[in-house]
Order: sequence, then structure tokens, then C-alpha cells
Amino acid sequence: MKNVHVNTRKHLSRRSMLKSGSIALGLPVLDAMTPAFSAAPKARARRFVGVSLYLGLHQPYWKPENDGPDYTPSPYLKPLQDIRNDFTVISGTSHPRVTGGHTAESSIWSACPNQRNGSSRNTISLDQLMAKHCGHETRFPSLVLNTGGESSPSYTENGAMIPAERNPVKVFTKLFVNDSAQEQQRQAELIRRGRSIMDVIGSEAKTLQRELGYGDREKLDNWFTSVRELERRLEANEDWIYRSKPTVKAKPPANIPRNNAVAVERAMLDVIFLALQTDSTRFITLHLTDNQVSGLEGVDESYHGLSHHGRDEDKLDQLAIVEQGVINAWADLIRQLKASEQGEHNLLDETMLMLTSNLGNASSHDNRNLPALFAGGGFKHGRHLAFDQKRNYPLPNLYLNALHQLGLQEESFATSTGTMNGLV
Amino acid sequence: MNQFFNYFAVLTVAKLALLPLGAKTPLKDIEPFLEQHCFSCHDDDVRKGDLDLLNLTFQPDDPDNFKTWARIFDRVHDGEMPPKKKRPPSSAEKKTFIATLQPILYEADKKTADEKGRVHFRRLTRREYQYTMHDLLGVDLPLVDLLPEDPATHGFETVASGQQLSHHHLGRYLDAADVALNEAFRRAIKGDETYKKTYAVNELGAKEKGRGNYRGPQHRGELCIHWPMRPQFYGRMPITYVPKSGWYRITFKGMRAINPKNGVVWGTLESGVCFSDSPLTYAISTVEATAKPEDMVFEAWIQEGHGLRLIPNDATLKTASNGTTGGAVSYKGRDLEKEGYAALAHRGVTIERIYPNATREAVRKRLFGNINQVEHKNLRNKSTCRPIIRKLVNQFATRAFRRPVNTKEVEPYLKLAYDSLEEKNSTPFDALQVAYRAVLCSPRFLSLPEKAGALDNWAIASRLSYMLWNSMPDYVLRQAAQKGELKKPDVLKRHVDRMLADPKSERFIDSFTKQWLSLRDFDLTSPDLRMFRHWDSIVSVSMQEETRAFFRELIKHNLPVKHLIQSDFAMLNERLYRHYQLKDNVSLEPGKGMQKVDLKGAPRGGLITQGAILKVTANGTTTSPVIRGVWVNERILGTHIPPPPPGVPAIEPDIRGAVSIRDQLNKHRSSEACISCHLKIDPAGFALEHFDPVGKWRTKYGTSKKAVSVDASGTTPEGTDFKDIVQWKSIYVNRPDQLARGFAEQLTIYATGAPVRFSDRSPLNQIVKNAAKNKYGLRTLLKEVVTSDIFLHK
Repeated sequence: MKNVHVNTRKHLSRRSMLKSGSIALGLPVLDAMTPAFSAAPKARARRFVGVSLYLGLHQPYWKPENDGPDYTPSPYLKPLQDIRNDFTVISGTSHPRVTGGHTAESSIWSACPNQRNGSSRNTISLDQLMAKHCGHETRFPSLVLNTGGESSPSYTENGAMIPAERNPVKVFTKLFVNDSAQEQQRQAELIRRGRSIMDVIGSEAKTLQRELGYGDREKLDNWFTSVRELERRLEANEDWIYRSKPTVKAKPPANIPRNNAVAVERAMLDVIFLALQTDSTRFITLHLTDNQVSGLEGVDESYHGLSHHGRDEDKLDQLAIVEQGVINAWADLIRQLKASEQGEHNLLDETMLMLTSNLGNASSHDNRNLPALFAGGGFKHGRHLAFDQKRNYPLPNLYLNALHQLGLQEESFATSTGTMNGLV
Repeated sequence: MNQFFNYFAVLTVAKLALLPLGAKTPLKDIEPFLEQHCFSCHDDDVRKGDLDLLNLTFQPDDPDNFKTWARIFDRVHDGEMPPKKKRPPSSAEKKTFIATLQPILYEADKKTADEKGRVHFRRLTRREYQYTMHDLLGVDLPLVDLLPEDPATHGFETVASGQQLSHHHLGRYLDAADVALNEAFRRAIKGDETYKKTYAVNELGAKEKGRGNYRGPQHRGELCIHWPMRPQFYGRMPITYVPKSGWYRITFKGMRAINPKNGVVWGTLESGVCFSDSPLTYAISTVEATAKPEDMVFEAWIQEGHGLRLIPNDATLKTASNGTTGGAVSYKGRDLEKEGYAALAHRGVTIERIYPNATREAVRKRLFGNINQVEHKNLRNKSTCRPIIRKLVNQFATRAFRRPVNTKEVEPYLKLAYDSLEEKNSTPFDALQVAYRAVLCSPRFLSLPEKAGALDNWAIASRLSYMLWNSMPDYVLRQAAQKGELKKPDVLKRHVDRMLADPKSERFIDSFTKQWLSLRDFDLTSPDLRMFRHWDSIVSVSMQEETRAFFRELIKHNLPVKHLIQSDFAMLNERLYRHYQLKDNVSLEPGKGMQKVDLKGAPRGGLITQGAILKVTANGTTTSPVIRGVWVNERILGTHIPPPPPGVPAIEPDIRGAVSIRDQLNKHRSSEACISCHLKIDPAGFALEHFDPVGKWRTKYGTSKKAVSVDASGTTPEGTDFKDIVQWKSIYVNRPDQLARGFAEQLTIYATGAPVRFSDRSPLNQIVKNAAKNKYGLRTLLKEVVTSDIFLHK
């Protein structure tokens, strides 16, 4: 086991990371699924689940005071001590040049520097980049979920937001309930028609480009790529229509109270677990934006209202109930994955999980000092990596680790400056 | 000094090379100014504000570079730079600087705008998509939710540069077109659904206790009574569940108020399943009942298996207890009316399926258009249908693409239809539907294609129609385009009047205020009910309606722009009147909904002091002068506020009592980096501090003894002191040109789908100038925008 010194001032250069050989960086570009290339001795991460909070976490409750392997658990982390060695706490990080309070939601997984008016184009999010390279082997290249609405921090290469699925029952149905023969036929028909329509649309875009001149070129390019991508997706879906979906013992989620965001989160995480277990998809984001929390014992306000606690103690107490609930539900997914055997390993070893937010302090809409918990994926966990609270360390560096762990040899991701110091 | 010149010489050469051919040596004349007033802070060493003028090139083609130069120009022009503590430039120096840089920037930007256009392939927003589908097909299905949400850029969903497109969008468009066409063809071919049910009071309510977990209304004599009770889903009437999703007309017989304390009892009518496994309800309408019985009619989209729920909904009403120990309600042995509880009562309800948008005949006409009986017959036969299909696809594409199409252009769509005819089980109607579906997924339908330069008549018709109706041009407008009349200002202005008189213009009132005034975010936060006990959904809905009604009034009567700041009237209903705690001399008639009320000098008049604005600029718990200040500057005063420098934390609010936001802010303002912007931002925010997060007047922060008093005084950026909102308003009400300019900018962004750029400044000034003779009336401003060069060019 290598002893890694956590250095908050300067980071290891990429070169030294290569030399240290802690990550299989020297390999040629490879197909992530071919075992011959699997150089890492440990189980290799094949999956990624990103859970994001739209209102941050109250820092004094989640951030441990001391760093290193012997950190004293913060209040929120106390109930997670049984899985202490399965996750890493990361503080003092944020996305460089990402500001704008709530609007920074769009950069949670893309880490794309934004401008206040949002006119700058977003870039591809981590989960979608992973899905682009490794998503073709499963029925669903990725799943994009949200507990409270359609917005998501998952973005395509065009910088378009992928609308999220918000209903756990629908997600369950999509994953595990076979369509009737008639419905399958209808689907096939729709796909076939859709493909021929896309042909026409593609050539219309081409004609328009000629008609309209170069000012609109970029926009029409977007039409082309979208048409092409949809054709590809429709083609891929065609292969899956008549194949039966995996059978699971679990029942579809039912009776989810609408006034309890944590219960909705749990229902989603249950479906996520099943999706991973059945290898229906490997790349998932879940954005938590459900504002209804009055169904939680001891809470009578809305979540967003509580996040503007103004340091009022009663509000903070209520907020803590919500946030603890969110973390506990996330921890339960880790426990479930850990208990699932998958060949020699358990699912947790093959799955990277992250819990983070666009806000470090929701009460002042501060985008620095983001909460970050990172679990599984074959990394060495059990520590608190504490970076500088004043001069934050780039969180995209962690995303680069995640890509490398997947076998993707990216040089950088968004504003990353290398892989994350101290994470092996 | 010499060093500077050396740098500058190199720099000028570099810049020259990048300038368009034939341009005058551009920046030579401002060299001395930069050297004397700028370099000491903005060189390659100090780089204040991350600006290094020594190494800044001049590349107007590069948007970022142009933005930097425009900002330099503005800072000097507005007297913000050089900073106060430095020696100010002489007026001659400044004049030269402005006179030199302005035309260079203008020409450079104008050239880019002329070549490429300001707007690039704006797409319909999902609301525009829905209305267009409704107008095109005659269907009335809600389609908005089938498409991804539209992000707002510069506040507006219409801004093309912020619109996103991916295969997810295209997939949704395919589905939405399918859904809408299925409905249209089903109605046209098979006919409308009919459904009508009338429920008597004994079917809707229970006399004492209903079966099981009863939470319905009380049946008493001739009446069905809904009391102010707390259990979740109280007031539900499961018997009213509808069998199919659709539009329904709901008629309550003899609705009236019991024990109306203020002359009325307010309530909410909702639809939903109203049981815990499916708890979401959908608002249909607010209900305002007086003691006098009155039939009330509502129209709403109700989902399959959903029914009605009616409850009194006014947070100031006294709540009646359940009458049981569990969650159910019981009326046994109680006389709630005698006990003084207010309630809503009626004598039964009728629910009838309707098609509010178009009759079946009208739908048929939109699908099968102008074809004669013989052609109709031929259409039904696979061997004779082709020429008819060709004709119909042509007609349909012409309307959908909002301009004439030629035979060649419809060929690919037609081919889809013909291919479909080759299939074994397909009918001519199937073939037609396939072609229509492709038309509805075409970029020519989903976007507004415009050629660079002056817009042609068809493009003008579309712009105007999407601006005022959020939908495609109607027959009259298309005729005008056909005749080529739309480039004439007086014709355009007549169309504006005609279109504003049409009920469809309500879409403009709604969309524009939602975006311009940020009302789309109205429900993003919910007020803390312990701090604001009397907040309820009636207040919430009424506030938003107040702002729409007020804006509608300004447009309708062409009232001067100063009404945005100060007005002698307000549009209020009884609930808002109480919420605002207006004095007795202000009179209003309960039971009459929104009405024009003479404020008799109360400080409530004017858009910026309306509840909806005050609520949306707060967070439900606290107010921030910074957030409100930025809002007033950007949305009303036309002053752009740059984003805060990175790394500067915002203030964390503290509501524990002893410290006011103002004290906290003062600490923040004392930093030199912050003060220059906060001098502009904060004054308007300070002036609004007398209004709490739900728009009520306050004199203290909170109700506790140690609560700090509100201080709403401040100094405008120009140095005029004010002590409160009344004085602040009296300053700004006298700046109609600034307000008009701000309004015209917002309207231009919304209507054209592009932010205002440097070369738009002089046409905007012209718009304002032209509107001056009509006291800067809002309708005049709107017409001036529509007839401006900006609007009439890509």
C-alpha cells in the first residue's frame, strides 16, 4: 500500500503521476470492456453514479474538522462509520470560474466555466462523456434522473441539457417491464418512421444552410449532429425492442409520498441499484431538486426555504433532518452495492459514486467549498482530503481520476489541472 | 514613459493589421488618453480587474474582444473610469476619446451584424410550439410538458444563442407531433367525444359522516358546503372523476359565501385524484364568492381519473376542526355556520366535455383544407389519392412553414407519404399523417429561418406574430405579407393594434411579463409560513395576475412609461387589497375580481412595488437590497450590472435579529473592489427595504423586541439623497427617457431573440426619441420597436 501525502499547496504534475504508475496511464486508447487491457490489479470501475444536491449541504455539519485517514466524523458522517473505508470526504474544492449560485447547476458534472447570463455554451458532462465512450453495451447508454423536475446537470456534446426522468415508477417500467407484442410492433414502426423522417430533416438542414449563409452555420450544425445522433440512437434501440428486459424480484415503487423528497430519493436509488445489478445501464445521474420535505418527521417548511436559514437555529435543525436523510439514503446504496457479489468483486468495487452540489453555501449562494463524497470504484478510501478553503482545489481533477479509472485516457476534463492529489 | 510608448508602438502595429481594410488608424487618437488615465492600473504588470491594455488587441470579429472594448468605452463614457480618486480627464480629453472610439466600435459591430445578422436561427419556445400546433391543427391538447424546458438567456427564452438542441429534443418533437396529429386525425375522422354529468348536492357531500376516511364537503339542505378544514385533500369529490383526459366545462350552481367577513369568501378549485397514492393536484382557478348565489363556470384540462376539489383558501380564515379524532371529517351534531365559520356553498355541479379551441369541422378543414367533394372522394381511395395528397401537403407546409413553398421543396415530405402508401395496411390518411409529421419536425417549422439583411414580408409577419401571439401569423397577416405591405410602418402599426385587440395577445402579456419581470421564477421559493402567516395560494395567484393586469392596462391605454415606477392606480382584488393593508380611503368592490383602484397617494402604485416583483426578488425568508437592486437596474432602469468578480462571497443572511442586512452590506461595500458597482446596485434595493419578502409594508425586521428598524434611505449613483421609496420614486419618475430606453431594450430582446448589441444603441435611441411625443406611452414604444431597423433586419 502506498502512503500518499496529502499536499494542499502544490499538486503533482501529470508527469509525476505517470511516473508513479499509480494509474494505468501509459496504455493505448482502449475499449474499456476488453479484459485484456485491464491493467489494474484491482477491480476496475465500469460504472458511475452521480448524485447532486441543488441546495448544497450545511458545511459545519458535513465537513470533518481534521483531515487524513484518522478524521473525526462530522455529524452527518457519524451514521456512515460502518462504511467509513468505502468513501472519501473531499473538502476545499470547487469548479474553477464557475459562479452564479443556482445557475451553476449546469456545471455540476460539466465543470464548464459559466457567465452570469448563461450565453456561454455548456460542455459535455462527465456521465455523458463516459456514456459516449462506454455506453453502447447496455440497453440504456445512460440514465438521467431528477427527484423534483425535468432539469438535469447532464449535458450533451452540443451543450444541450438532457431532460431528466422524474417518476421512479416510469423508470422502473422502462427498465424492467416488457412491452406487449403490440406495443413492440408500434415501437418498431415509430422507429422506422422516425428514421425516415430524420433523413428528410437532415437534408432540410443542409438546404437551409445554403439558403441562410454563414451566420447560422453553427446552429444548423447542431441540427445535423442532433439528427445524426438520433438516427444512431433509433438504430440502436431497434436492436433492443424485441429482446426481453431483465427480470427483477423487486416490485415497482409504490406509494411514494410527494411531500417527502428523501423518500423520492430512496425510491430512485432503489431503481438505480436494480439498474446497476442487471447491467441495464452503467452511467447514471440523479439530481435532487424536490422541494417538498414537510413529510419528514420534524420538518414543516420547504427545502428551499430551509436552505435560506439565515442562521436561525430552528431552521438549521430542520435542514439537518433533510440533509441527513439525503446522505443516509445515499449511504444505503453504497451498502447495497457492497453486499452484491459480482464475480470476484462486489458491485461497489466496480461502481464509482459521488455526492456533490453546485452550492457550498446555499444561504449565500456561494459556489465555492462544495460538498463532495466519493465512494467505490476500486479507489483507496477512508480519508478526508482537505484542500484549501480560501484557494479552492479544482474538483474537475477528481473527474479526471474517474475517467482514468474507467480506462479512458483523457488528458484533461474541463478545467482540470491533473488528477486529484491524494486520491489513489 | 518611453517604455509605454514602445509597448504602444508595437501594439498599434499589431492592431492595425487586424483592422478591416480602409479603416482609419483607429486607436491612435486615444493613445494619449489611455496613457494618461488608464495604463497606471491596467498594464501588463498591475492588470487591475484582469485588464491589460498594453496587450489588448483590437479584433472586433471576436465577440469577447469586442465586449472588452465596448466595456472600456462604457466605463469612460459613464464616468466610472478613471476612478474618483484619480485625476479626472478634462472634458475635451473625454470628448475626443468618445468621439474616436464610438464610431470605430459602431462600424465594426454594424458590419458583423449586417453580415451575419443579430439573430441566428431562433427556435420556437415550447410555449410557442404549443400555440402554433393549436392554431395549425385546431387541437387543444397541452403540449408544453412534452418538450424540454426552455432556458432563459438575458432573461428571455426566445434568445437564440441560449437555445439548446440535441437528439433528445428531436426525439421529443417526433413524439409531440405524433400525439397532436393522432388527436387531430381522430377527431376529424371519428368525431368528438361527448360527456356530460350533473351531480346533485346529496351525491357530492355527506350529511354527517361519509364512509371510510371521509374528507368531502357537507350536504345540508339544498347546499353542498366546503368548510375551512385542514385534513389533506379535504374538499375532494371523488364522484366527479372524469373518464378521459380532456377539456371540461365545470358549472357550479348557485355558488355563494357563508359568513363572508370581508364581503367574500375565497377558495381554490383544483383537480386531482386527491388520495395519498396520487397526491398531486392541479389548480383550476381561484373562486371568489359573495353572499349572493351565482352560477360559476370554469374551463380546465382534467386528466383521466381526476376529479374536483373545492376548498376555502384564505389564510386569514378561522380553521374548523375535523370533528373526529382521525383524519376523516364529521359534521355530526355541529352547526358550523352558527359557530361563525366562513365557507363556500353551492347547489351542485355539472361537468361537460368541451373542445375550446376548434370544432370538429374546423379541425377537418385544417387537415383536409380546401378540397372539393370529388377530391375528398378520391382521397379515400389508394389509387386516386396521390394528387390530392400532393395538394394537401403543399397547403399544410405553406401554413406550417409560414411562407409559400414550391413543388420541389415539398418533394421529400411527399415522398414519405407515397412510400407509406406502398405499405400493405396503410390508408391514404396514414400517408398524409406521415408527411405532416415530418413537416412538424422540420427546422423550417420549428425555427424562424431568416436571411441576412432586411427581412422579407414573410419573416416580418412571423416575427410580429410570435411577438404578440406566440404563434403563427393568421390569415389576415399572411395576406398582408403576400401583398408585400409589411415593410410600411403605418401598415405594421395597424397590425399591432389589430393583434393587440385579439384575445391571443394575452399570450404576449403572459410570456413577456414572465420573462421580462422574472415571474417565471415566482414559485421557486415559498415564503416561510411561520414568519408570514397570512401567505396563501390566493395571494400568490392574485399577485401574478395583478402584474399582468397592470401591464395589460398600460398597453391597452398607451400609458406613459413612468407608471413602471409610480402610478396613481393599481389593479387589485379584495384579497390583495387586504394583503397590502391599504387605508380605508382606498375603495374596492369585493366579489368583482381584479379592478382598477385609485390609490389616493398610497406608496403602492407602480410596477416595482407590486407584490409579485417584491416576492420574486426575495427568497421567501429574507430580502437582499443587492438582488433587488440588480433586478431594478437591469429590468427597469436599463443599467447593465456586470457579474461580481470571482471569489467574492455574497453576504450570508442572518435573521436572528440583531444585525440588519444593511449593516452586513456596509462591511462588504467598504471594499474598494466592490463599491464602484454597489454604488449603482444598492440604492434601488435600499429604497425597497420597506417591503418584506411577501410584498407587505414593514417598518422593522421581524416582530421581536430587539428587531432592527428598516432604513430605506440612500443616495442615487448621481448623488441625490432619498429617504425612502416615495422619494426614490419621485427622482426616477422624472427620467422617462431612461425608463423608455430600458423598456425598449427588453422588448427588443424578447421580440427579436437576440441581446441588444453596440450597433443597436443608436436605433434604440431613435425609438425612444420617436416615443417622446406620446409621453413615452408603452404601446407607442412597442410600435416604434416593431417599425425599427433592428426589428426589420435579421
